[in-house]
Amino acid sequence: MQVSDKPAGARLQRLELSRKRALTMAPAVKRQSRTFFSVLFHYVMLYSLSFVFLYPMLYLISKSLMQSSDLTDAAVQWIPKELSFDNFQYAYIDLKYMGAFVNSVVTSLVPAIIQIFSCAVIGYGFARYRFPGYSIMLGLVLFTFLVPPQTIIVPLYMFFSDLNWINTYFPFIVPPVLGHGLRGALFVLIFLQFFRGLPHQLEEAARIDGAGAFRTFWSVMLPLARSAMLVVFLFSLVWHWNDLFQPNLFTMLSDKFNLMQNLAVMDGQGEQEMQQGLGTLTVNMVGLAPTFANRVMAGSLITILPMLLLYLFTQRYFVESVERAGLAGD
Amino acid sequence: MRKPFSMKTRHYLEGYAFTLPWLIGFLLFMAVPLGKSLYYAFQSLEVKTEGLKATYVGLENFRRAFTVDVDFTPKLIETVASLLIQVPLILIFAMFSALLLNRNFRGRMLFRGIFFLPVIIASGSVLTKLREDGAATLPIFAQYDLATRLTDIIPVQILLPLLKALDSLTVSMWDSGVQILIFLAGLQSISVQLYEAAKVDGATPWESFWKITFPMITPMILVNTLFSIVNSFTKPGNGVMEYMQTVVFQNLQFGYGSALGWIYFIIAFAVIGLVLTLFRNSLKGRG
Repeated sequence: MQVSDKPAGARLQRLELSRKRALTMAPAVKRQSRTFFSVLFHYVMLYSLSFVFLYPMLYLISKSLMQSSDLTDAAVQWIPKELSFDNFQYAYIDLKYMGAFVNSVVTSLVPAIIQIFSCAVIGYGFARYRFPGYSIMLGLVLFTFLVPPQTIIVPLYMFFSDLNWINTYFPFIVPPVLGHGLRGALFVLIFLQFFRGLPHQLEEAARIDGAGAFRTFWSVMLPLARSAMLVVFLFSLVWHWNDLFQPNLFTMLSDKFNLMQNLAVMDGQGEQEMQQGLGTLTVNMVGLAPTFANRVMAGSLITILPMLLLYLFTQRYFVESVERAGLAGD
Repeated sequence: MRKPFSMKTRHYLEGYAFTLPWLIGFLLFMAVPLGKSLYYAFQSLEVKTEGLKATYVGLENFRRAFTVDVDFTPKLIETVASLLIQVPLILIFAMFSALLLNRNFRGRMLFRGIFFLPVIIASGSVLTKLREDGAATLPIFAQYDLATRLTDIIPVQILLPLLKALDSLTVSMWDSGVQILIFLAGLQSISVQLYEAAKVDGATPWESFWKITFPMITPMILVNTLFSIVNSFTKPGNGVMEYMQTVVFQNLQFGYGSALGWIYFIIAFAVIGLVLTLFRNSLKGRG
């Protein structure tokens, strides 16, 4: 679409503009009222759906600022009576935040970075080369994407335990190196789609200049794939960060737990405290008992906070990249 | 100059060089474990001090899953049922949202950012916590005592499943971030000229949706359906998944756990196969 620097492009754009103007200005009053209602409908839908999407976020923030008395107070809906940050302090200690944070970073940032490169290499291979066995291998990629990881948990666990990899970071790092790991097949497919969309002339030019296959890929094609790389990186990072299945499978020692695992454990303690402290509850008081939901919500909030911050800064590029990366397929 | 291979062979070799790492990974982390788990599924594995002791039990594990085990079958049915309800909901909702976001309006980027937010929040333990705390349902139904009031008008037998579906609606909506993005990318790739031509010919927006938009994004519908199914089969909080982990790592029944894994796998594939056949027919019908 970037043709505006050429005179022909500019003329085309002007033409398009005048055509659009002609289309929007000519119609009678009847159509105008219809547009008004459609715009109104559009915004009503947008705002109401946005509320649904923001609801968990608002809920987390509101609950995490409440004190236990606010939770049981029927008069308090969203705005706590008194601001307190005790919940965060409690959650910070209970989640063993610093250690768990480091574990989370290692088990999500490192695989995400590795997956960008390994899946790009593999996706490129599938996009640009036809070799004997090509369709079988591509079929296997699709197959891998569809197999529920639960099917192979037993042998995979035994395999890693034979290698003495349980409670180490290796199970999170080695499969991504070979283009596997969490949703590796999907990322291969994203790169495959992206590279297919690029013109062949780019590589031909590089080849004529004497670059080898890998050099062509590394210094010509990969830099062009920035938008696909960003998409894969963010998806991979967020999914690894939120994943509970793999960490629960491969880490048994609590000092190796990441934030999601500690958060999953956290609530149990609150419930225990509740039962110990309030052993004399009657049935109809259950709904009123302090479940430490405020602490749990504060914990949830600080668990996803790094992802939220990252999303805040990259969101703009991210949504654009998805459009450019041709995620939608052919 | 080295030229030991013909152009064709070199092309092949380069192709293998790029894709071979994946194949090695596939053998190590997918093919071998999958084969082993199939083998284990027909064994009874006992944990002994010297390692695992396997005895062949034939189809016993599979029989047990459906006849003896009272926990597995209901969980499996629940998972498949929620999938059948949620996937269409997610698709319709994602398509609707993508259409909303695809129009030109002020604050487009902001709304896109908001619509994609659940991908970050609504997974992992955070979603579990929200659900436990009752935040995964919109409060309108519970708050104003709507449910009890509605029982006066609608019989309970109909109302309860209806409310349950509405409750799961929120979760479906939170689950549709990626699908919205895929639809959005698909909508962006449809050329504006098509719509203009249709408009000139006097097509209503309704007609141009069904004659242009819908056929053009059918491939995206397929992609999204597959993604939603896979996502739904593997997402946390899924009863079967949790149960399998309990069987394997708490009860240490490796053979039985593998059999459950295979049952799950076969059902997942059956659902996916069904969807693919349906799509192939509809794509063929359209020519």
